[in-house]
Amino acid sequence: MKPSCSRRRLLGLLAGGAGWLASLPFARTAKAAVKNVFASAKTPDGYNPTKHHWLMCIDVDRCIGCGLCAEACKAENAVPQSSNYFRTWIERYIIKKPAPGVAALRGDVIVDSPNGGRNGFPPTLVPKAEILKAFFVPKLCNLCEHSPCAQACPVGATFDTPDGVVLVDPTYCIGCGFCIQACPYGCRFMNPDTHTAEKCTLCYHRITRGLQPACVEVCPTKARIFGDLKNPTEKDPLQEFIRHNKVFTLKPHLGTEPRVLYANIDKEVR
Amino acid sequence: MNRFGLPPQILRLVLLTALIVGTYAVARTLLTPATFGQYGHYRGAALEETASRKPLFAGAKACDECHSDVSEKATKGHKLISCESCHSASSAHVRNPDITTVKLTDNSCLRCHSSDPARPARHKQVTTIEHYPGDHCIECHLPHQPNKSP
Ligand code: HEC
Ligand code: HEC
Ligand code: HEC
Ligand code: HEC
Repeated sequence: MKPSCSRRRLLGLLAGGAGWLASLPFARTAKAAVKNVFASAKTPDGYNPTKHHWLMCIDVDRCIGCGLCAEACKAENAVPQSSNYFRTWIERYIIKKPAPGVAALRGDVIVDSPNGGRNGFPPTLVPKAEILKAFFVPKLCNLCEHSPCAQACPVGATFDTPDGVVLVDPTYCIGCGFCIQACPYGCRFMNPDTHTAEKCTLCYHRITRGLQPACVEVCPTKARIFGDLKNPTEKDPLQEFIRHNKVFTLKPHLGTEPRVLYANIDKEVR
Repeated sequence: MNRFGLPPQILRLVLLTALIVGTYAVARTLLTPATFGQYGHYRGAALEETASRKPLFAGAKACDECHSDVSEKATKGHKLISCESCHSASSAHVRNPDITTVKLTDNSCLRCHSSDPARPARHKQVTTIEHYPGDHCIECHLPHQPNKSP
């Protein structure tokens, strides 16, 4: 009896299958190339995201807590006005002297951020004599290397762009809020109008046009240092910042590897 | 037995598998957004859409075009401050100078200069009750040259 499938035929089929599998990556590249011709995602003025890498750093010593950054951010990005929604905000840390007779270096820590510092800070109720030291800390998205928010998103709506920004695609976001819980820095919120997660975009619409983020633009004391790691200028502010300061990250024990560096920060800051 | 020499149930299985895989491939091609995978595992066009907002703050360079006299005269202290820190978002004014900028009051000075223990000591601060109460700041300080008086 003639076998239903000859050896020659089976080997031929296997070889054909292997060839098809091997050609898949090339087919995919070719498809992507064709797609790029038809639908290219070019940002303003021929901006190429792969040619930049943006970063913001914070010098806590310079912040005077005027709150112009928080105000400018809300205006620039049409962030909902209610005091629950912020892309950037300022916290005031007041560290009290230890109570008399207590063997401690410092007493209670009082942190407040009335309306995110958006209207400036009212005078503190803590009497001056009780204050050991006090300072302002501006907060924003920490641009983590290992972003917990991106890992938590079930639909891949949050991603790292090639130019170092973490963005949300609002057409993908299903508003489940997992990313908001996942962010250890509290940098995200649910937009009450669109019901999608929102966060600092480093003013993506400004940096792609060669402007500075709104908060950097209005900061009167250069407490926010912003630059492009791939195109350092002469006397680059970021390089100078690193050279002259000892820098830290927030919550380093979480392993999120924030790219945003803070200078002159205190142990109490979370 | 048919002309492929396969039992009919196997042939049916092969055809069904081909149909499922084919439908998946067609659906995937049609449903995947065009720019998906351009930069990574996300929609490349999302970058463009995020970037399409119109900036409200025109940026310090924009003012120089018509007000270079102000920025040149500005002195120590306020020289480094961007115009829009005080005059607030002004891109509408840049496009059409007839649209005036926000009116400024003493409170805009005090926002940066009222004394607060959390402010760095080197930053010049005043207490309203002690520092000439009742007078407006710009009666004694030129806003762009704060150490000069009018
Ligand atoms: C420290 C805050 C501050 C900064 C920074 C500042 N201004 Fe002013 N500016 C004022 C105040 C206050 C007035 C007076 C407003 C009034 O009289 O109602 C004023 C008035 C003006 C006027 C109208 C009167 C005049 O002096 O000609 C112009 C124009 C002006 N500013 C342009 C600028 C430009 C351009 C810059 C950026 C280089 C700038 N300002 C930066 C606070 C500021
Ligand atoms: C296209 C030119 C132009 C540009 C750019 C421009 N201005 Fe003006 N600005 C004017 C003119 C014209 C006036 C009216 C001058 C007058 O009435 O004496 C004016 C007046 C002002 C005044 C006086 C108060 C008012 O609103 O009438 C301020 C403050 C001011 N400009 C701030 C700014 C700032 C801040 C910027 C940068 C963001 C800027 N301007 C950019 C043309 C310009
Ligand atoms: C956006 C924040 C901001 C605003 C608003 C502001 N200033 Fe200033 N001012 C500064 C900074 C920053 C300095 C420089 C740091 C310092 O020496 O304190 C300064 C410095 C000064 C100085 C000292 C200048 C010197 O050379 O010693 C005076 C006086 C002053 N400002 C007055 C004013 C007056 C009056 C107003 C309102 C028209 C005003 N400032 C509005 C941020 C601001
Ligand atoms: C009657 C005039 C007058 C008025 C009004 C006035 N100042 Fe002054 N200001 C002065 C003089 C004079 C000095 C410099 C001498 C001194 O330190 O008192 C000064 C100094 C300052 C300094 C620098 C302080 C330092 O430590 O060197 C700041 C900041 C300042 N003024 C802000 C303001 C603000 C903000 C207002 C409005 C609330 C204001 N001034 C209103 C006259 C005035």
